[in-house]
Amino acid sequence: MGEIVAGFGVPHTPMFPALVAREGPQCETAQLYRTVAEHLGAIKPDALIVFDSDHLNTFFLNNYPNLSVGVTDQTSGPNDGTPGLPHYVVPVAEDIAARLYGFGLESGFDLALAQEFDVDHSILVPLHFLTPHMTLPIVPVFINGVVHPLPAARRCFALGQMVRTAVEALPASRTVAVLASGSFSLDVGGHLSPRGEFAGTPDVGWAETVLAHLRHGRINDLLNEATSERMARAGNVAGELLNWIALMGVLGDRRPSFLEPQIRMGHAYGVWRWD
Amino acid sequence: MSIYFVHKIAQLVAKDSAFRERMKREPAAAIAGFKLTDEERRALLAGDVGRLAQLGAHGYLLGHLARNEVLGLSMRNYPQRIHDPGSTV
Repeated sequence: MGEIVAGFGVPHTPMFPALVAREGPQCETAQLYRTVAEHLGAIKPDALIVFDSDHLNTFFLNNYPNLSVGVTDQTSGPNDGTPGLPHYVVPVAEDIAARLYGFGLESGFDLALAQEFDVDHSILVPLHFLTPHMTLPIVPVFINGVVHPLPAARRCFALGQMVRTAVEALPASRTVAVLASGSFSLDVGGHLSPRGEFAGTPDVGWAETVLAHLRHGRINDLLNEATSERMARAGNVAGELLNWIALMGVLGDRRPSFLEPQIRMGHAYGVWRWD
Repeated sequence: MSIYFVHKIAQLVAKDSAFRERMKREPAAAIAGFKLTDEERRALLAGDVGRLAQLGAHGYLLGHLARNEVLGLSMRNYPQRIHDPGSTV
């Protein structure tokens, strides 16, 4: 029997490793990641499922999966030249990944199978801050958050529910935490970026709405409002919210024990604990 | 579907150093073999990313053209061009 023991959510802004190296451990971003890292360190799970949106670095449009599970024993990266990150090798909990993949298919989720892949900043920036020794095995679950039209929010929530059931059906006793990676409102290189900027937050109001729904556990409202069209107005990578929605599917009706935004950047840091 | 090849060109610029160098040296020849519309080809060679975005290109991928400084683009002029189709400042 596996057990879901905690949930976490963080941004993966590619500039953050270099920014924290420059500004030091007392800067706001370093402190926020450290708070999340301390919770994760206290929980000490056996594995970390990561809901993530590849930025067309692991997969490309010749065959882009909407939902995919990485089933292998290790991965590495970054494969997109993220400044300030060393080359990391990350263990993958292959047995859990394989069970999740198989259980997903049996449950009606037509997951794509990825058995040889490297990963970009969207996985490695969070791990750089949360598990810098890279000893905690991950299970990467890729959700399309950047290529429109996006998968439906309710489908991603159901994916999270399936992941929970799959973990609870594991044959061995394992503790599993879940991490969501991504922003609520962010545009990179697109016309929704603020004038004169390469990237930015087009829709702080939407980020505030998402944050309030998460804080008060209003998941049904979030699922109703997070349409592909609504997320598109919040920026060309704002579909990363789907990773948080999948996390909510895993966690069920829980309120966060810690939820702190950097609202001008359209993202937040969250912890769900019940131990 | 031809916007796919605009995306593919941007991806190759980011991932394939030989292609990237060719894009700096002889861009028209480098993209000659891709199935592009006349409008896509014109906009690419002009570095008109604003027009390419209007045609459906993904800003995240177009950004690779600026990060790698091809087609007259740079991180400095890209933000204005993405907002102003037709601009070649």
